[in-house]
Amino acid sequence: MVRTSRWSSVPAHWLLVAVPAAVLLAFFVLPNALLLSASFLKSEAQQLTAEPTLDNYRFLLTRPLYLQVFLRTFVVGISVGLIDVALGYPLAYFLVRTRGRWKGGLIALSLAPLLASVVVRTYGWYIILNRFGVANDMLLGLGLLDERIAFMPSTGAIIVGLAHALLPYTVLTIMSSLNGINPNLESAAMSLGATRTRTFVNVVLPLSLPGTAGGFILVFSIAISAYATPAILGGPATQVAATAIYGFILQILDWSLGAALAVILIASSLALLYAASRLGARQAVLR
Amino acid sequence: MMARLFSARWRANSGPWALLRAVVALVYVFSLGPILITAAVSFNPTNRSFFPPRGFSLRWWERAFSPEWIDPLLFSLKLGTLTALMSTLLALPLAFALFRYRFRGRDALVALTLGPLMLPSLVTGVGLLQLFQYVGWREYLGFGALLVGHVVICLPFAVRTVAISLHTLPPNVELAAASLGATRWRTLRYVVFPLIKSGIIAGAVFAFIHSFTDVNLSIFLARPGEVPITVKILGFLEFGFAPTLAAVSVITLLLPLILVVVVERVSGLGDFIYGDHRA
Repeated sequence: MVRTSRWSSVPAHWLLVAVPAAVLLAFFVLPNALLLSASFLKSEAQQLTAEPTLDNYRFLLTRPLYLQVFLRTFVVGISVGLIDVALGYPLAYFLVRTRGRWKGGLIALSLAPLLASVVVRTYGWYIILNRFGVANDMLLGLGLLDERIAFMPSTGAIIVGLAHALLPYTVLTIMSSLNGINPNLESAAMSLGATRTRTFVNVVLPLSLPGTAGGFILVFSIAISAYATPAILGGPATQVAATAIYGFILQILDWSLGAALAVILIASSLALLYAASRLGARQAVLR
Repeated sequence: MMARLFSARWRANSGPWALLRAVVALVYVFSLGPILITAAVSFNPTNRSFFPPRGFSLRWWERAFSPEWIDPLLFSLKLGTLTALMSTLLALPLAFALFRYRFRGRDALVALTLGPLMLPSLVTGVGLLQLFQYVGWREYLGFGALLVGHVVICLPFAVRTVAISLHTLPPNVELAAASLGATRWRTLRYVVFPLIKSGIIAGAVFAFIHSFTDVNLSIFLARPGEVPITVKILGFLEFGFAPTLAAVSVITLLLPLILVVVVERVSGLGDFIYGDHRA
């Protein structure tokens, strides 16, 4: 190759990456390192001290209040992931297989919500679910309710709101994995006498499992660190990790506890993601 | 041919396919319903969220265009535009080096580049706030800190799209240009750049949208008077339902939509949407 002989005589790649790498080191690695170190330091009178301690972790991992926060965070993450796979799979399958005139438009329509901020999309659910909201109005009007009830703040409302906000991500990942399946495999199965439904269950579904798992993992990891939706549809009684971190940092001004909570959130989600990817990898090998 | 025949027959018997269509219709209602309801209730003449609206009024829309809402909107537009510009400028050499060279430390650099995608931006926001306070840059909280943070979290999007367009570049064009005597710079300027231009534009658009819609990072780095529109909406929600907020929501939703439609018409985005999210 001409390129390698001439271009590598100077370490051009280091010149090219110097500035972007410096930006990432200074404003991504350094802040996260500071955060990690703060989680091992003692806070006194809303100031970080230089005294190393494990008390922050001990505190968070022994108080029932914060154990509940972790539990709720992961329940939300898993429920949102499952709902979005259940809703996203049929939609993705339809979008990949339909030959209708509106295919392009329908794909665009299913991804368009990504263009709106999560705040805006969650606000729609606030309008629907609050005590004087659309859902209450309708149910009262239909005579299904005698008096107004509060659908929110609640964990259920957080799950619905996040499932709605993150649905396009599962649609995208499942569509790209369905697109990657060789259509001849299906023709072959059917020419051997399998019905369309059986072909789907025995051929398409297993082949699209890794992509589906990928969609679940993506949505799960976004959901457990989401702030806006739990802040809008939840309340003080339904805190999740992100809202608790916000409270520690900007309201209680306890940096060490906020930092420790952030580290626990990252560590547990990375561990789960790693486990999930190992599981996915094994499935990929088995088939 | 065969597949078409089969699927046509399957569709004709209308069992599972009709069921699928019904499910898909429900998913669309779930997905688009809340957005349409938000738009509809903003036209209510009263201060209530009646749906369907009882009457028609533009009074809340007038209020949405007052400085209270236009200022944060312009702030977000400025922030998003500068973020898109800067992250694209940083992404170009980075993507080029990562894609065109094999060198020691490349894997670490890839991990560093994609890091902001892996770590929740909420955590990066907290870390940046701590950094700015620690080194005594408190006065840069607000626009300066937000710009730095947004560039960091948008950089992976820009790098990925540029890398995808470099990937689809026919490998021989550069050699052809070089063998015809073009210098490295001329090859880049007149051969490579025009071919990856739509990828660069797509990367900038994704960076803009990611910046314009971000909340998780921005809540930590904003300060009074220098607040992106998403954080402003979030703060206002404490006061409960306000039709003005519904109108503002629709405006912030329309801006990226218009941008995408225009860019799609001019240079095309579709090819990069799959690639952008494929791991």
